[in-house]
Amino acid sequence: MTKGKKFFAYTFLIVVSFISVFPLYWMMVAATNRSVDVTRGTLMFGTALFDNANKLLGSQNVSTALINSFKYSTIMTLISLLICSIAGYGFEVFHDKAKDRVMSVILLAMMVPFAATMIPLYQMFSKARLLNSTLGFILPTISTPFLIMMFRQSARSFPSDIMEAARLDGLTEFQIFYRMFLPTMRSTYAAALTITFMNAWNSYLWPKVIMSDAKSITMPMLVANLTQGYVTDYGILMLAVLICTIPTVVIFFLLQKSFAEGITGAVK
Amino acid sequence: MKKKIASLLLAGAMVVSLTACGTGGSGSTAQTGDKKGDGGAKATNELTVWCWDPAFNLYAMKEAEKVYQKDHPDFKLNVVETPWKDIQTKLTTAATSGNLESLPDIMLLQDNAFQKNVISYPDAFQDITGSGVDFSKFAKAKTAYSVVEGKNYGVPFDNGSVVGCYRTDILKEAGYTVDDFKDITWSQYQEMGEKILAKTGKPLLSCQAGESDLIMMMLQSAGGSLFDKDGKPDMVGNATLKKVMETYASLVKSGVLIEVNDWDQYVGTLTNSTVGGTINGCWIMASIQTAEDQSGNWAITNMPKLEGVEGATNYSNNGGSSWAVTSASKNPELAYDFLSKTFAGSTELYETILPKSGAMATYLPVAESKVYGEPQKFFGDKPVYSMITDFASKVPSNNTGVYYYEARDAVATAITKVVAGSDIDAEIKNAEDTVNFAMGK
Repeated sequence: MTKGKKFFAYTFLIVVSFISVFPLYWMMVAATNRSVDVTRGTLMFGTALFDNANKLLGSQNVSTALINSFKYSTIMTLISLLICSIAGYGFEVFHDKAKDRVMSVILLAMMVPFAATMIPLYQMFSKARLLNSTLGFILPTISTPFLIMMFRQSARSFPSDIMEAARLDGLTEFQIFYRMFLPTMRSTYAAALTITFMNAWNSYLWPKVIMSDAKSITMPMLVANLTQGYVTDYGILMLAVLICTIPTVVIFFLLQKSFAEGITGAVK
Repeated sequence: MKKKIASLLLAGAMVVSLTACGTGGSGSTAQTGDKKGDGGAKATNELTVWCWDPAFNLYAMKEAEKVYQKDHPDFKLNVVETPWKDIQTKLTTAATSGNLESLPDIMLLQDNAFQKNVISYPDAFQDITGSGVDFSKFAKAKTAYSVVEGKNYGVPFDNGSVVGCYRTDILKEAGYTVDDFKDITWSQYQEMGEKILAKTGKPLLSCQAGESDLIMMMLQSAGGSLFDKDGKPDMVGNATLKKVMETYASLVKSGVLIEVNDWDQYVGTLTNSTVGGTINGCWIMASIQTAEDQSGNWAITNMPKLEGVEGATNYSNNGGSSWAVTSASKNPELAYDFLSKTFAGSTELYETILPKSGAMATYLPVAESKVYGEPQKFFGDKPVYSMITDFASKVPSNNTGVYYYEARDAVATAITKVVAGSDIDAEIKNAEDTVNFAMGK
């Protein structure tokens, strides 16, 4: 790369990273300032962090929301990884014409927006008495076409030699899945985990529709509560957003390497 | 093959048991949740309420619980914090799916959306006309928001009466006092605004571009509406609306009114001293008061009125909400009694909630209360709360109906184009066409 090209490339990268990092920086700054200073556009860290924290804890049930969010997201992630990976593996390894057709129906389901299915779902769930329950929270998104497709794609790169060798050695199909496929596909699982956890953590509309009890509040609901009302306290709001962001950021950074691998393909 | 099926079944069983585990583990929360959620409806002495804003509505409800508990010690209120948009989503979902059970006994509805919801989902609400609530104790324009076909569906709560807020220190620089802005017309307002702009470089008013709040306030102040009594759009040939648009465009042109991009920026213009005042629902005073260093430099009076329009007044309304009793309530009698003895019958309640939350009521008897007459240091030691309650009694009514939000949006689009130089009549015609289209005509 010539010097000039390098210069432009770096300038471009610096501008783009500034644009993506600035909101995060501003969120942290705002969390440490009084609301009025936030509206006045301060960019320096303030001294109101503890004040904001006190007010936030005083007005909202943060611990309940955090515990609920963790509970729902963890249960949802575990179950949905299990179901979708088995499904994706099955669709690829045992594929025939009929199963491929089923797969295309599943993919078609990806195109249906949630808003269209919300009311029928609500009807089903209220008749099944699943309102205000964890099961009601996780069931609709427990298996997603996207994850099934992702596992199906990665199962495609899983060498059939290994499977045949395993079959000759007398492993059952299920043993092949969890002894051979699962360890090899660790990075796909990591990527799927990150995506599912984030989706579950951030999910808002459905939980809001079926959860009407103060005790089932989740972090996104808590943040939404703070934006309501005649006065929005931006300091407190940004602190809540910060708290809400931390877990997903931690998970992402922990699994960052595998995430990138998992997206590009697990088997080299 | 059999092994395959067996292993699949096993895996299936594992999943199911895991799921069961999930609910089992959370069973305590989920189940108590169920009990609480429905309990309001089942138990004879408990009510469930949905509303938003802990500092305001939730606080008021909890104080109301205490007031009611004095005579009914067993009474319990289960208040669930639910943002307005979510109340609307949940109400729509429950009503459209025909399953109203999940609704609470009482919920708070925005006045602007009240008639729309009652007309769209008539089965979801209780007619409370003869329930013992004395509606004559509220400002007529306020109760009108929750009346459909002559029947009352809501107990009015917070006040959206329009106030003109002014920075006395900025006015002083140009040689004015707040009294110069009392009972004035918009052209007087603009004239003084121009002088203030020349002297201090500060516009007198800011508002959100692409929003119709100010337009609607002006329109209602002259008793105008976007719909006629039958709910048909009434824009083309509506002289009041045309006058409003002209006034607005002229204010923007003169620089007295600056448009900003969003709500946060709007609040910023007030707290940053970029403008010399604002005109909005009285609830804006809570945002103004976050700038503690400006204490004593603010004053309120009524809003300017339209010129040459019959029935024009210096009073209007923006925002506000009312309590509705749902048909899901298993104990509506208790809900009626609770509301009529608290929000529609207790001066004490309003006196308690005012100092801490600034929650302005529309309950008229409180205007004479001592607490409402207390001078407020922030607003130049004036008894602003009793002033506002007095404003509230003079506001002309407004017809909202089902398509009010669509009409507001259409008008907002029209005014944006008018400010950019389009012809007013043509844009009003466009707006009416848009609303007619939304109504399926």
